[in-house]
Amino acid sequence: MAGALLTAPVIAAPIDRAALVGQLCGNATAMGEASTTLTNLAASGPEDERQWAAPLARGLIDRSLICDPSGAVLKTDAVTLDAVTRELRAAGDGGRSPVLSLKNRATFELADAALALRTSPSVQARANALRTLERRAATLPEGLLEAAAKTETDPNLQAQIDTIAQTAMLGSPDLAKRINAVGRIADTPSRRNLSLVQGLASDPAYTADPKFRTAVDSAAARIERGIMIGDVLAALYNGLSFASILFMAAIGLAVIFGLMGVINLAQGELIMIGAYVTWMVQEGLRYALPGLLDWYLIIAIPAAFIVTAAIGIALEASLLRHLYKRPLMSLLATWAVSLFLMNLVRVTFGTQNLQFETPFYVTGGVPVIGDFIFTWNRMFAIAFAVATLLITWVVVRRTPLGLNIRAVTQNRDMAACIGIPTRRVDMMAFGLGSGLAGLAGLALSPIYSINPQMGQGFIIDSFMVVVLGGVGTIAGTVVAALGIGQINVLIEPLWGAVAAKVIVLLMIIAFLQWRPEGLFAVKGRRK
Amino acid sequence: MAKFTRRSFLQATGLTAAGLASPIGMPSIIRSAHAADTVKLGCLFSSSGTMANLEGRLNYVVKMAAEELNAKGGVNGKMVDVLVSDPASDWPLYAQTAKQMLQQEKVSALFGCWTSVSRKTVLPVVEQEGGLLYYPLHFEGDENSKNVVYANSPPASSVLPAVDYLMGEEGVSAKRFFMIGSDYVWPRTINKQLKGYWKSKGIPETAWKEEYVPFGFSNFQTLVNQIRAFADQGGGQPIVVLTVVGNSIPDFMREFANQGILATDIPVLGLDMVEADLEGLDTTKLVGHLNCWAYLQKAKGPANEAFLKNWAAYVKKNNVPFSGTTSIDPMVSAYDSVHLWAMAAQKAGSFDVPAVRSAFPGLSFDCPSGYKIAMTAENNYVSRGVFIGSVNESQGFDILWQSDGTPKPVPFSPFG
Repeated sequence: MAGALLTAPVIAAPIDRAALVGQLCGNATAMGEASTTLTNLAASGPEDERQWAAPLARGLIDRSLICDPSGAVLKTDAVTLDAVTRELRAAGDGGRSPVLSLKNRATFELADAALALRTSPSVQARANALRTLERRAATLPEGLLEAAAKTETDPNLQAQIDTIAQTAMLGSPDLAKRINAVGRIADTPSRRNLSLVQGLASDPAYTADPKFRTAVDSAAARIERGIMIGDVLAALYNGLSFASILFMAAIGLAVIFGLMGVINLAQGELIMIGAYVTWMVQEGLRYALPGLLDWYLIIAIPAAFIVTAAIGIALEASLLRHLYKRPLMSLLATWAVSLFLMNLVRVTFGTQNLQFETPFYVTGGVPVIGDFIFTWNRMFAIAFAVATLLITWVVVRRTPLGLNIRAVTQNRDMAACIGIPTRRVDMMAFGLGSGLAGLAGLALSPIYSINPQMGQGFIIDSFMVVVLGGVGTIAGTVVAALGIGQINVLIEPLWGAVAAKVIVLLMIIAFLQWRPEGLFAVKGRRK
Repeated sequence: MAKFTRRSFLQATGLTAAGLASPIGMPSIIRSAHAADTVKLGCLFSSSGTMANLEGRLNYVVKMAAEELNAKGGVNGKMVDVLVSDPASDWPLYAQTAKQMLQQEKVSALFGCWTSVSRKTVLPVVEQEGGLLYYPLHFEGDENSKNVVYANSPPASSVLPAVDYLMGEEGVSAKRFFMIGSDYVWPRTINKQLKGYWKSKGIPETAWKEEYVPFGFSNFQTLVNQIRAFADQGGGQPIVVLTVVGNSIPDFMREFANQGILATDIPVLGLDMVEADLEGLDTTKLVGHLNCWAYLQKAKGPANEAFLKNWAAYVKKNNVPFSGTTSIDPMVSAYDSVHLWAMAAQKAGSFDVPAVRSAFPGLSFDCPSGYKIAMTAENNYVSRGVFIGSVNESQGFDILWQSDGTPKPVPFSPFG
């Protein structure tokens, strides 16, 4: 395929438009040929042909090209146009949008990007097209980038096109150009480029020309360094993102468990309900204020907190209050509540995964260096976890409620003696812990699948974090989450995800043997 | 909380663990209110736990098929009565429920199980009790019990054609393979067979990599990083063979798309991926990824049109808590199973398992997939067609390729 594209002749004569549309509606082979024609048009076709061809490649990818008995039509928002003549015409009977095979999908993506680069009036669209072309730099038809560089008006894009064009010179007969290309490739370190550069060691020029050899060797070294930095950053980022999830799941529990010693097995379900509240806010916005739909993750913050906090307070006031003297009973009671909540949600909403909008700030990622990609949904969770940490810290350390909570945690009887209403503090603390679980549900919705069972997966992990961190300390929860997250991420690539889980659990058991109070024990006479 | 000590915590957690591990009491079996002259069929599909979203809908399909039989006057003059239970995605509970259904309720046939691990627990029960289990999922093969009807395809007529397609010119000429699965019998056996298959084709061992994750795993960041690193090593087009199950599927696909990998870079062949797994995902970034089944919703033909219409009507009429517009392979396979059972019982003129079994050879049924599915005297497998689907932007699958006929099922794989 690559060879065919590279050697394709320059198109001089106007192409047979009807035949090309016919090919687009034909079998896989014909479609493949059509994509080659389209790509070559982008490189060397006249302006009007390119303008005509661009919607075809796009239409095949986004399924707006409908083949019917008399050719094909292009569907736009309001009207349907004939694919050949671009005159208004309704689709005939039995219209179908052709399914692209994987192989053809790749060639049509290339054709679409090539045409968009040459014809699109929007700088953003051209930049996107260029990114697609960059991934497939080896299969670009000759002359495409040169032609695009000539007509490009945006200086930024011009520079990018230039870089890609220089990269594409790797196979050029001119040695200076090749050396330059090697240097350019090394500018973006990745494993793919490393294999590419290392492959040059078997090139005849490598042994023949010392200048070329040094260029290749230093490029390989530079890429390796970049990859190493990227790998370290990726491991840190992955660890941090897993830690943020663990922390969000555990922080509410740390407050509840630390203060009251209640093993709240319904914590996972509170997380789940937080996610469902987020979804309801999203649906409400869709109905009432569609303009703000993209910001539902932010707008839902108070709702997710208040609803779950209210459930927590109701739970405490109606059920757990009577069971404080009997931890075993409170454990069973919260387990029952967890089953109840789960099934209530299942009956009300069904078992399917909830459908969430993915606003731009939690979509996709940015390649940073080497193979490290900075993904926005993870970043959202990390930022959210940091914000939650700060707010929780302020509440516990800097407010009267926090002061009361700390006093009751340290010594309940003494706190009661000096007039702190311990029952009320219990209730508020339970509400705070539950509300934090609700926020966790919100933060997780762009990452995980949201369904009635999702909470069960978190309960073990969050207890692990809380017990390891030391019961009831925020700092302990943070450090334990970071530690478990990072260790998991480091072990996973070595021995696999199953072993990682086992090893982490063993490490925690061993650690608790040595320090039963966890990382950060509350000092003083607790028990 | 003065009385809370480490000891009581340990006691409490121990008790909880014990409680979680052994469900208290027997699962309750829900009967419908049919009078004496009925024949009973039992369902073993979970309506709670991790498999609920997938298995739950099969209960209703079996009921719908039974309604169809009853509308035509039942089987052998008896009305069909479907018993439903909830094994709660808890593998040992499937065996317990099966035993209860066979011993106490004397069901004539069981329809059930999704994961291979649940089938493996039920297997000794149906063999001991002389029951009959219809299993509606494509699976790893390597099993041939006279008490189980394998209504879906073994790997030779599902996975291998799909992998062949991807390795071929028409596909992407795949040369390298990253296998990632949940850690249990189905993914491990499938991957073992695939490795044997590639070896037989002279593909070196360095061309593949295998990773497993625990059930319900969702943090795929590191694994997707590994896949990218694997792909960038060069040496030909890589593909991912995905055999994770349940919610791991959408979580994996989401991470895959977020790290910017398109189907045209590294296609994912999701062996267990169905429309229901794409619910809640933005599929515009996932277009082109593949699955392979013996039925896809877009299958052409009057049988499928009728099935889709009946299912939509059934969902509406009975207020079924699942989508009336989604139809997945295991649903159709369960539907086929009920009809195959009815045909066998009718042919035998009896509900006795040995008599029903001896009526299997020569049965054929117009499956909604558009193929005429059939059974032979050789084994209890059903020959089905093969579809390869491609994810589209509306959370469904387009048919990319389908087999000319129904390949003969090969229970035991020669590759592993």
